Amino acid sequence: MSLAEEYPEQIQKIFAKYPPDRKQSAVMPLLHLAQLGKGFVDRHDLVEIADLCGITETDVAEIVGFYTLYHDKPEGKLRIQVCTDIACALRGADEFLAQLCERLGIRPGETTPDGLVMVEAVMCLAACDKAPMFQVQGPDGISYHENMTVEKTLEFIETARKEVK
Amino acid sequence: MTKTVTLTIDDQQVTVPEGTLIVNAAKMVGIDIPVFCYHPKMEPVGMCRQCLVEVGRPAIDRATGQPVLEDGKPKIQFGPKLETACTTPVSEGMVVLTHSEKARAAQKEILEFLLTSHPLDCPVCDKGGECPLQNLTLAYGPAESRFLYSEKHHAEKHVPLGDKIWLDRERCIQCGRCIRFQEIIAGDPVLSFYQRGRDTDIITHSDPPFDSIFSGNTTDICPVGALTTADFRFGARPWEMKAAASICSLCPVGCNLTFNTRREAKAGGKVVIKRAMPRQNEQVNEIWICDRGRFNWHYVEDPSRLTHPLVKKDGKLEKASWSAAIEAAGNQVKGNQVLVVASGRLSNEDLFNLKQLADGLGGEALLYDSLPGGELTTRYGVSAGTNLGDLGAGSAILVAAADLYHEAPIWYLRVKAAAERGANLVIVNPEATRLDKYAKKLVRCGKDEAAAKVRELAAELTAAENLVVFFGRTADRNLAEDCAALLQGREGRANNGLIGVWPRANDQGAWELGYKPVDPSTGSGQALAQAVKGKVVYLAAADPAGDDPQLAEALKGAKAVIVQELFPTKTASLADVVFPAQAFTERDGSYTSGERRVQRFYPATPPLGESRADFAIAAAVAAAAGLEVEGRSALLVMDKLAAAVPAFVGISYRKLAEVTEQWPIVGRGDLYYGGTTYENRQGLGVQLNVSTFKRSNVVRGRAL
Ligand code: SF4
Ligand code: SF4
Ligand code: FES
Ligand code: FES
Repeated sequence: MSLAEEYPEQIQKIFAKYPPDRKQSAVMPLLHLAQLGKGFVDRHDLVEIADLCGITETDVAEIVGFYTLYHDKPEGKLRIQVCTDIACALRGADEFLAQLCERLGIRPGETTPDGLVMVEAVMCLAACDKAPMFQVQGPDGISYHENMTVEKTLEFIETARKEVK
Repeated sequence: MTKTVTLTIDDQQVTVPEGTLIVNAAKMVGIDIPVFCYHPKMEPVGMCRQCLVEVGRPAIDRATGQPVLEDGKPKIQFGPKLETACTTPVSEGMVVLTHSEKARAAQKEILEFLLTSHPLDCPVCDKGGECPLQNLTLAYGPAESRFLYSEKHHAEKHVPLGDKIWLDRERCIQCGRCIRFQEIIAGDPVLSFYQRGRDTDIITHSDPPFDSIFSGNTTDICPVGALTTADFRFGARPWEMKAAASICSLCPVGCNLTFNTRREAKAGGKVVIKRAMPRQNEQVNEIWICDRGRFNWHYVEDPSRLTHPLVKKDGKLEKASWSAAIEAAGNQVKGNQVLVVASGRLSNEDLFNLKQLADGLGGEALLYDSLPGGELTTRYGVSAGTNLGDLGAGSAILVAAADLYHEAPIWYLRVKAAAERGANLVIVNPEATRLDKYAKKLVRCGKDEAAAKVRELAAELTAAENLVVFFGRTADRNLAEDCAALLQGREGRANNGLIGVWPRANDQGAWELGYKPVDPSTGSGQALAQAVKGKVVYLAAADPAGDDPQLAEALKGAKAVIVQELFPTKTASLADVVFPAQAFTERDGSYTSGERRVQRFYPATPPLGESRADFAIAAAVAAAAGLEVEGRSALLVMDKLAAAVPAFVGISYRKLAEVTEQWPIVGRGDLYYGGTTYENRQGLGVQLNVSTFKRSNVVRGRAL
């Protein structure tokens, strides 16, 4: 199903926010829309969004590539993005990431075999004083989890496992 | 007059127009500042930081607003940080240090960083030997890296971006030049960055992949071996090749080329062409060429080429000596009216001699071409001093019945740029073209209405100070005349005139020399079929029999058929005598571009087999028929031509070889600045004046 068929009203709302000669501005919210539910943007979405915004598919792909919030491959339903930038690193983010991955039996950047959880390292998420921290991208959008421990994270995953499935 | 600014760069005083970037101001006085992302044909982006320099400005007293003096001289205040020379415009009294310790240290560090994710596989890299990264590393870089070798970034090395261009992701230094070229200059944004930081990759999602007709240019301006052409990849090392100046023979733009050649074991020790590169001519192709010009020259090396003369004996073409063939042809033409049918693939010299042959024998010379309006361009065509690069606000450009992107690609680039500078671009065409999105006005109409539409537009177009009109492929006689009528009164004025988008490189030359169209109204085969009946037909670079079976039939009714050709064509197979001609890469000569610029090309490789230049063959046949026609060299033919044809007055090979300095400065030791395009040292050519015969109603008796 195309985005236009799936989200006709939302698309209209998005375009209403921008002047008609600035249609390309809608590319970011449209990408979010495309990612809802399935968690990534596929080739059909790229083509459709390019058409809707009057830009080339390559331009849309560039934006997907640039932002860590957009993905073009199906990966875990829950995407746990752990900040390992300098401030977080000083508060043990690297260690946290390593242990979490070990407990999940994956390496950073990988997805658990059941397809539920994907863990990756990202740059500063602007919560530097509350490290270790991560954000989760899931079917319901984005949530922040601060001052985390590995145990607390595993608990969170267990709870989520029941809800997502 | 533009305001100028005086500044000091490394102890040299420089005066340049206001707004000039430091990097260019330095270039103008021969100081090289290393750059990667900056390119003089594109706006700066300041991405690579390679061009860091120290910049000082006169200190100003805040209280008085006056410069602070120190020992009677203005005090120069240097900022705490270095600045990018490619994004910083000059200012009065500025002092720039490009080689200070601080600047050198920064330039060195940027190179050290770049090399941490570069494979340094120069020994197998096509760019090795003409690579900006290699050259700048030697000149400015560190000898050693402080980074861990094992942490080098690795990426895919053989990625086809399309049929013509390959990408090596490891070599890419993310300068963005290729992306910006496609977006800004070609208007075809099919390349982009993907991901960030060290993971940044060049991608394309276009379908079909990277199919831009200008794609080859990205390999010239890529400062590393990340982009290479499928055609030349792993073909030769730059230092093994010789360079020969040439002119593209594929369309009427007349782009200046350089052929790179080398002797090759693979070719049995023969000298062969390895690649075609652009050669700078800011008034024609700037520093670009299209992919046709870059890749479609291989036909000259096709093994099926004719290598020796053939003469018909007992109904069969047989190998013959030159003297026998010339004698045979001489006997055929002597005392007969000869109908010369030649195409615009030939040079001015060839066409001139063939016409001498026809005229000398009381015959006729026809141009094998189907676009009407040739003689109109000799009168209303653009003339000396015209440069599409000068057109902008206040100019109007009409493109009628032509698709410049496909038919004359570099004109598309230049007209697009003129429209972006503010020229009023109007397009009248039956179908959509790529140029449409730059037009102020689009008229979509069929062939029959086009002329009337152009008349309707006349008031608007002729109000402009400068007016250039292109007419092309689908134009009929009426349209051509109405296009010409727009230019009434502008004859001989620079940046004004009519340009035919001819199918061949030198059709304009043929018109200037007085060739007649095959059929003035339709150019159809019908007329030609009539014309050849019972005549001695002398065909050069034209294959009517191959193009149209009707004409093949008609040629059988000719009294005799003589052919000068590169290939054993259908027409050649019907001939009584066939002469093997040299390709334009094997000889010298000149073409007249659609902008009426006469430009010289030079031999790149030795001639194939026994082939001879077309002008020489025509002269030899003429001599055998008792005529005196110059055939010793192209240079001497041009002297005769210039003396005989008023539009060519004053033109000589020496004149055609003159050059003046062009901006940007490219192609010297500083490949990182302009790319691997060649500097023009062999001639910018000369634009013709309009013929001076009296202004009369060449345009059909309409009140103009
Ligand atoms: S491919 Fe070449 S031109 Fe394009 S960004 Fe990389 S280094 Fe620059
Ligand atoms: S634009 Fe025409 S003359 Fe220039 S390179 Fe292309 S085909 Fe050759
Ligand atoms: S450094 Fe981790 S949130 Fe800022
Ligand atoms: S930042 Fe100036 S050349 Fe790249």
